[in-house]
Amino acid sequence: MRWRGRIERVLALARGRRLDRELEAEVEAHLEMAERDARKAGLSAEEAQWAARRRFGGIEQMKEEHRDRRSVRWIETGARDFRIAVRTLGRAPSFVAVTALTLALGIGATAAVFSLIQGVLLTPPPYQDPEQLILIPSARTDGQQQESPRPWPAAQWMEWQREAKSVQSIAAYRWMFNFLILPDRVESFEAMAVTPEYFSVVGLEPALGRKFVASDTTPSAAPVLMIGYELWQRRFGGDPNILGQRVRVSREDAPLEIVGVMPPGVRFLPAPNVAQEPNYDVNALVDIWAPFSPGSDAAELKRPRWNVVGRLAPGVTPEQAQAELALLAERQAQADRDFAGFTPNVQSLTSEYNRDGERILLPLFGSAALVLLIACGNAAALLFLRGLGRQQEYAMRAALGVGRAGLFRQASTESLLLALAGGALGAGLAFGAVRAFQSIGGHAIPRLDAVTTGWPVLLFGLGLALIAATLAGLFPAWRASRLDPNEALKGAGPKSTVGRGERRLLRAVTMAQAALTLVLLAGAGLLIRTMINIANAPSGYDTSRILTMSVTSVQRSGADFHRRSLERVQALPGVQRAAYAWGVPLTGNNWPMRVIIEGQPVPVRASEATELPLRSVTPGYFEMLGLPLLEGRDFRSNDVDQAPPVAIVNQAFADRYFPNTEALGKKVWLRGPKEPHNTIVGVVANGRTDDLTRRATPEIYGSFWQYSAYSKHLLIRTEAEPLSMASAVQSALREVNPHAAVEHIKTFDQIRDDSLAGRTFAMRLLVGFSMVGCLLTLVGIYGVLSLSVASRRHEIAIRTAIGAERRDIRTLILSDGLRLIAGGVAAGLAGALAFSRVLRSFLYEVEPNDPATLIAVAMLFIGVALLACWAPTRRAIHVDPMKTLRCE
Amino acid sequence: MIIDMSKKDMSRQRTDVPYGTLDLLALKTLETMGEMNGYRIARRIEQVSGDALKLSQGAIYPALIRLEQEGWIRTKWGISETNRKVKFYSLTKAGRKQLETEVQKWEQANALVARFLEAAP
Repeated sequence: MRWRGRIERVLALARGRRLDRELEAEVEAHLEMAERDARKAGLSAEEAQWAARRRFGGIEQMKEEHRDRRSVRWIETGARDFRIAVRTLGRAPSFVAVTALTLALGIGATAAVFSLIQGVLLTPPPYQDPEQLILIPSARTDGQQQESPRPWPAAQWMEWQREAKSVQSIAAYRWMFNFLILPDRVESFEAMAVTPEYFSVVGLEPALGRKFVASDTTPSAAPVLMIGYELWQRRFGGDPNILGQRVRVSREDAPLEIVGVMPPGVRFLPAPNVAQEPNYDVNALVDIWAPFSPGSDAAELKRPRWNVVGRLAPGVTPEQAQAELALLAERQAQADRDFAGFTPNVQSLTSEYNRDGERILLPLFGSAALVLLIACGNAAALLFLRGLGRQQEYAMRAALGVGRAGLFRQASTESLLLALAGGALGAGLAFGAVRAFQSIGGHAIPRLDAVTTGWPVLLFGLGLALIAATLAGLFPAWRASRLDPNEALKGAGPKSTVGRGERRLLRAVTMAQAALTLVLLAGAGLLIRTMINIANAPSGYDTSRILTMSVTSVQRSGADFHRRSLERVQALPGVQRAAYAWGVPLTGNNWPMRVIIEGQPVPVRASEATELPLRSVTPGYFEMLGLPLLEGRDFRSNDVDQAPPVAIVNQAFADRYFPNTEALGKKVWLRGPKEPHNTIVGVVANGRTDDLTRRATPEIYGSFWQYSAYSKHLLIRTEAEPLSMASAVQSALREVNPHAAVEHIKTFDQIRDDSLAGRTFAMRLLVGFSMVGCLLTLVGIYGVLSLSVASRRHEIAIRTAIGAERRDIRTLILSDGLRLIAGGVAAGLAGALAFSRVLRSFLYEVEPNDPATLIAVAMLFIGVALLACWAPTRRAIHVDPMKTLRCE
Repeated sequence: MIIDMSKKDMSRQRTDVPYGTLDLLALKTLETMGEMNGYRIARRIEQVSGDALKLSQGAIYPALIRLEQEGWIRTKWGISETNRKVKFYSLTKAGRKQLETEVQKWEQANALVARFLEAAP
C-alpha cells in the first residue's frame, strides 16, 4: 500500500498545476459553505465572510502544506532551484561563457586522456578471464640480459603441460610473416602459428566455422587456416560463404582452406624472440592463424622455437606458477645440458599488455588532472567574485525567509549547472582531442586504433563536472549561506571589495594554481630539453633525403631480382644511390646472432653465447647513410654466396673485442663453430642504430649477397623530396618483377620521427596542457590583483593624497603581485621536484630535477605572470585621490 | 501513523491537532457518515469534538490528499449545497482496513499510556 502513496506522490509532481487548481476550487467552495452556515447562524454578510476565513486558517500555509504532503518535496524544490539558477545565469551570459569554457578546458583535457586510458588500458584483451593468463618468456639463469629472449623447445613446455599443477593448460605459438596472394594484389600479413589447444587456453571461440583440431597438424592433413574478423571484412567483404574457400600464400605450395573466422579485436601475444623482425608489431590485429604442432622428431623437439602462454589453475598466483615452473626447468636442465642456462620468467598477460600504455598514459592523465584543478581554481574564484556582486540579492532573500540551507542550495545549483555546461562542452572538446590524438599519436600509444569516443567519455566528463562543481562551488556557496543580511543590506549597491581574510583565501587559490602550472611547465620543459638533446645527439648517420620501402619478391626469384632491381632504381633520374638492407636503423630490425669471435672463449652452454645484432647490406649502403668506413673496405658485388664469407664490424665491436690489435682480418663465426668463418674486411663508424638515445653497441654487418633476407628495406637517396620519387621507384620494381610486394613507403626522417613518437606525443601534450594552465593562472592572478586594487582604492587614494609618488604605488601593487607569484613558484618548484620523476623514462640526458630547466621555466613563468600584473598596477596608479575620497 | 511528526514547524504551531490524529478522525468520520465534502468533514470533526479541538478547517485538505494518495479514500466530483462543483470523499475498502488498524494502534497506545499513569509509585 505504501508503494501506491509513493507512486502517487511522484505522479503529483507532474500534475502539480491541476492539483493546485482543484484545491483552489475546493477552498472557494469551502468558504462559501462556511459563509452560508455563518449567515444562517445570524451573522451579517461581512461578519460571515470574516468568520469563514478565520475558521479556515491560513490559506497559503495550507496550500504549501498540501503541496508538501502530496509530492516529493526535494524534487520540487530542486526543480525550482534549477529554474531560478537558469534564469539568473541567463542574465549573465559572459560570466557563464567564461566559467563554462574554463571548466571545459580542464574537463576536456582530462576526459580526452581518459578516453585513451579507457580504450587502451581499461579494455581487456578479448580472452576469457584474461587475468588468469600468463606469458612464459625465458630469462638467463645468470641474470644477464638477452639480446633476443630465447624461445622454448617443445620438449620443455610439453613436459610443463603434463606436470605443472599450478598451470591448468599451456599452449605454444610463433609469430609468422607472409604474403597473401590475392587475384589483384599481394598483401603482407602477420600471423600466429599456434598449437591446436591455443584457442581453448586463451578462451577464444570462432565467430564463424571451427577452431583447429589435433588432426589439422598431421603431415597428411589438408592445410587449413583461420582468419581474423578484420581481414575477413577488409579483403573478403564479410562474405558469409567464406568457409571452405581456399587462399594462396607465398612460400606455400598448396592453397589453404579457411575453416574459421575469429571474433574482432584479437591481437598478437608477444613473441620477443622475433621482435627484431622488420614487420613485427605486437599490437597489430591478427590476420591469420595456422595450426602447428611440434611433431615427434627428437631433434625438432629440442629446437627452441616456441613462445608459451598458460592459464593459471584457479586460485594460483603468477608467483606460485613461477616457482613451480622454475623448478621443472631446473630439473630439465640437469637431465639435458642443452636446456641449461634458461629459466622461465612468468608475467601476467594483462600487466604485460598494459605496460607500454601505462608508461605514457598515466603521467599524461596526471597532467590533465592538474589542468582540471587549475581550471577549478579559476571557476571557484569567478563564482566567488560573482557572489560578492550578489551579496545584496542573497541578503534580501535571507531577509525574506529563505533559510541558510536554501541559499546554499541555490548557490550550489548555479555552480552545478555551470559545471554541467562545462562538462558537456568539455566532452565535446575531448571528442575532438581524441581525433587529434589518433592522427598524431599512432606510433606513441599502443592499440590507439581501439580507442573510441562514446558514452563512457561523456559520462566521465559529466562525472568530472560534478567533482568540479564541488571543488569550485562549495566555498562560494557556503559563503553565500553564511551572509549576515543586516551587514550586507547596510552597504549601498553591489560590493566590489572584500575583507582581508577573503583576499587571503583567493590568493591562496591563485598561488596553488601557479604552483600546479609550474609543475606542468617543468614537465614540458624537461621534455623539450629531451627533444633538443636527441636532435643534437650524434646519431652517426644522416637520415635526410632518403626514401625507404619494404620490398619482397614474393615468388622466389632470389638474388637475381635484387641485383636487377637495384640497377634499375639506380638508373632512375633523381636517384643518387640505392641499397638493400636488413636492419635499417631505428626500425628495431636486425638479426640477433650467436657469434663466436676469434680470441674470445667459446661458450660451453647455449645460454652463455655472445649475442650480437647482424645487419645485412648491399655495397654503398654505408656511404649513402654517411657512416664513414674507418678501416678496410666496403662490401663488393662479388662478395657472394660462393665467395669466402666476409663481415664489416662497427667501431664499438673493434674496441670491445680487439682493443689492442687490428680488427681487420680477424675471424668471426656466425653459424656455429663447425661452419666456415667470416673474415672482418672493414670497420665502420659507430651509429646509434637501435635507439637515438642509446650509445652504439657492437654490431656486425654481412654482405647482402651472402645473407639475403625475405622481406627487407630498399633505401634510395634522392636529389629532391624523397616521396616524390615513390611512384617511379615502384613502377621500376614492378617492371623487374610484377609480383614484387612494395609496402610501407616512408622517408627515413619519418622512421626517425616514429622512433621518437612516444616522447614527441608526451611533449606536445604537456606543452599544450601547460599553456592552458598558464593562461588560466594568468587570468587568476589578474583577477586577484584587480580585486586587491579595487579593495584598496581608499588606501591608495590616501597614500597619493599625502604625497606618495606613482612609483611608490606601482611598487606597492607590483610587490603584492610578486609575492603572490613567488609563493606559487616556490611551491611549484617543490611540486616539480616531487612529480617530474614520473617522466624519467622519457627523458634523455636531462635529470628530472635538472636545475637549469627548473630555473628557466620559473623565470619564464614569473615574466609572463608579471604581464598579468600590469593592468591592475596601471589602474592603481591612476586612482584619482580627490574623486575616490569624495565618493566615500 | 499515529503521530506523524510534520516537518514544518510553523504549521504545527497553528494546529493543535497532529496530522496523524486528523487522519484517523477523517477516516472515522467518513466511516460513520458516508460520502461527504471537505467542509462537511471539517465541520463534523469540530462538532463531534465540541470545542475541545482547535482545528483550522483548512488543515483537513492536506490530510485528505494524503489519504487519497494512499488509496484509503476516493474522490468524486459533486455539487455542493451552494451549487458549486466540489469534491466528495468516501472510504475505500483499503481505507476501512486502515481505519481498523489505526483504531487498534490507538487503543494499544492509549492502554499503554494509561497503564503507566495508573502504575503505583
